[in-house]
Parts: sequence; structure tokens; C-alpha cells
Amino acid sequence: MGVFVYLPLVLPLTALPIARLAEQHLHPRSATRLLAAVGTTLALCSTVCLALLMVVGTAQLPGNPLPDGWADPEVRAAVPYEERAGVVAIGVLVAVFVACGATVHRHVRQRIRATRALQSLPSQPSPVAVFPDPEPYAYALPGAPGRVVVSTAMMECLTARERRALVAHEQAHLTARHHRYLLATQLAARANPFLLPLRTAVAYSTERWADEEAAQAIGDRRAVAGAVGKAALFAHRSPIAAPAFAAFAAVGPIPRRVAALLEPVPPTRLWPPSSAHVAFAGLVATVGTTVSALSSLNATVTLVRILHEATPL
Amino acid sequence: MDTAGASHHPLNELPDDNVPPAGPASDGRRPRKRGQGELEAQVLAVLRSANGPATAGWVQEHLDGDLAYTTVITILSRLYAKKCVTRARQGRSYTWTSASDEAGLAALRMRRVLDGERDREAVLARFVSALSPGDEERLRALLAQTTEKDED
Repeated sequence: MGVFVYLPLVLPLTALPIARLAEQHLHPRSATRLLAAVGTTLALCSTVCLALLMVVGTAQLPGNPLPDGWADPEVRAAVPYEERAGVVAIGVLVAVFVACGATVHRHVRQRIRATRALQSLPSQPSPVAVFPDPEPYAYALPGAPGRVVVSTAMMECLTARERRALVAHEQAHLTARHHRYLLATQLAARANPFLLPLRTAVAYSTERWADEEAAQAIGDRRAVAGAVGKAALFAHRSPIAAPAFAAFAAVGPIPRRVAALLEPVPPTRLWPPSSAHVAFAGLVATVGTTVSALSSLNATVTLVRILHEATPL
Repeated sequence: MDTAGASHHPLNELPDDNVPPAGPASDGRRPRKRGQGELEAQVLAVLRSANGPATAGWVQEHLDGDLAYTTVITILSRLYAKKCVTRARQGRSYTWTSASDEAGLAALRMRRVLDGERDREAVLARFVSALSPGDEERLRALLAQTTEKDED
């Protein structure tokens, strides 16, 4: 396995240029799918390699469950680099699993709690649930069937046309099952922190995707832009929504969404790429993902072979 | 700590109700798993069953489990801050009335779910995220642009 087993741990860095550029140059639908696929693959490869390193690490611990032949000097010699790294990998892998478990747990818990709150609402059932609340909020609650949850304050700050835009936006989230992309990239970022920018990029591109769907559904890009902008300004007034650190922030997601909606519809084509930058970033991400997949495959095969040799069966 | 906490407390209880700045940890006997939110919902449900103003003592009697009187007061004060209950002074203490109907209670529950979310790690992706001060200006400029176009 040699040095190849380490590659998938750092190759997620190759996805960063495409994560940055996808948002400017790709249709949000393509961007979401591409980034989620790349992120998931890289995270899986990274975790597989961690697992392999961990197996080597446990081999050095007394009382490990591996067969006795594993401790043979020949076998040790076949996995030269990984002795110390293996022990470190045990800790890292445990941390990855704990973090992923916590993320899944939080998802399940939040959805159950939101569903319970929804069920306690007396007026049932409608695809849009309106809660009497002075704080403006709106979101899509996935489930069977999924529901759009809106507060009265949010509804009141928008015009009739903008309300339709808001509901169309949230319904687009439900129809395209955006929560799956979000969860996949959140887990990927837990598995390898280098993938954190990918998670942020997917969170943004799913919002843009829903904006575009809403604009198409109601046939008015400017109404969607107005809904996003007004809702954000209105929500900004409520003290609870104050951002934690803001002073040096780059242009935030909301102005970018509104600006994008004031532009014409983005092109849906993925090929040929719109610029040389995108083509290069795409190439880097593709090569990174492929090398990552091949390295983890190579490491897996090597490990299975060693294990096979070392086991007296 | 008591006095410092009381000065931060948004509501000035009458002296005999002097409440320590109670979080869930203030009452050692209470199991940790019963969250603040659940208690608020319980208190509100009891208050709604009163069909009129009720004292904190009445609420305490009608609650399941043995909550301390001060805890009940704390929860009622918190509900008052959220405009879920109203209160009127009666002698040396207050009487409390539920201001929320069933939908209001549901909204309280939903808000609690959302309040637990952080922007970066949100499970329930909201329509709009937080704005930075710079964003606010940019956004106003962009929106002004849309209305100008409307007027053309």
C-alpha cells in the first residue's frame, strides 16, 4: 500500500477549486449533483483508507482480534510505513464515526421534533403549514408527505406574488429532495474536514436551485428575487437572527442569490465548460477523485491479500 | 450571583417570588432529560385548562411531577417574555392567563425546534440565512434596482 494509502486523506483538497467555481459557472442543479457526488466519493475513499490504517494499527495492540499470523515479521515488513500512523488512525476513525453518528442523530431528532410540532397544529392537513409566530421563518420539512412550514410574520412581509414564489421555492426543495444532498455533504465534511467548503457550496447551490425552480414555476424571476431579499431584510431585524461574525465577511449568500435572480436564466449545459478556469478546475477535481478511488482500491486489495496470506486457512 | 442574575432577569418578580436565575440545573432533583421547552409546554397546557386567571401555586399543584414553586415562576416568566401568557397583579403576587391557543402552542414548539439550530449546521434549511451588515446594504441596493425596473 505504501504512500498510496495516505493520498485519499489529502486529495479532497482537489475538489476545492471546482466548489468555488461551480457556483458561478454551472447551473445550480448540475453544481449540486456534481459537488455532492465528488464529495461523497472522496469522503468514502478517505474513510476506507483510514479503516485500512486502523487495521494495521490494531495489529500492534496486545489482545487484538486479528489472526496470529498477522504479527509475523514478513507481514510487518509488507506494511512498512503505517506502524505509527495506524495507531493514530484508530483515534481519527473513532472521531469520524462519532461525528457522523452525531450528525445523523441530530438530523433525525430535529425532523422528529419539527414533525411533532407540526402535528400539534390544529388546522390539518395542507401542503403549507402556517404557524402564528412574530418571527419570520420558512423552510421545507421533508417527510411523507413533505410540508412547507411558514410563519405568519413571513407571510405578512411579502406580497401575494412573492408568497407564491416562497412556497414554490420550498416545494422545489421537497420535490428534488435537497435534504439528501445536504446530509450527504455534511457527513462528507465530518469524514474529512477538507470537504467543508463543499458542504457550504452545496448548501448554497441547493438554495439557488430552488430559486430557479420557483422562478420557472411562477414565471417571474423578479418576484423570487423580491421574496428572498425582503424576507432576509425582515428576518435581519429580529435580534435572534443576528450573525455571529460579520464584519469581514465576503458577500453573503443572500445578496448573491438575489443578484443571480436579476440575471437571465443560467445555461443548463455542463459541456463544453463555460471557461478555461472551469475546465481546469473540473479536470483537477476529476483527477483527484479518480486517483483517490484508485488509491483506496489499491490499498484495499493489498490489505485483503496480506490478510489472506497471514491467515492460516 | 443571585443579585447579578436578578438584575439581568427581564422581569421583576415581586419580592416574595424572588427567583434565582434558574436554568434547568437550578433544581437538583429534576431529571436532566426534561428540557425547558417541554416544561414550558406543560405549564402552558395546565394554564389553558384553568379557563381563566390562575396563580403560580395553582399551576404547580396541577402539574405532573413535583416542580419547585420557583421553577414554575421561572417558566411562567419565560412564557410571559415570549408573550404566550399575560399576567395581572393580585395582592402580593400575580395571576397568570394563557394568551396562546392551540396554534400558538404549536408555534411555540416549532420556534423552539428552530431556535436550537445553528446557521452553519442547520438540519432544516431555511428560506433565508443571516445577513452581515455589508450584505444588508448590498441587498437594499439590489432591491432598489428591481423596483426601479418595475417603474420603467
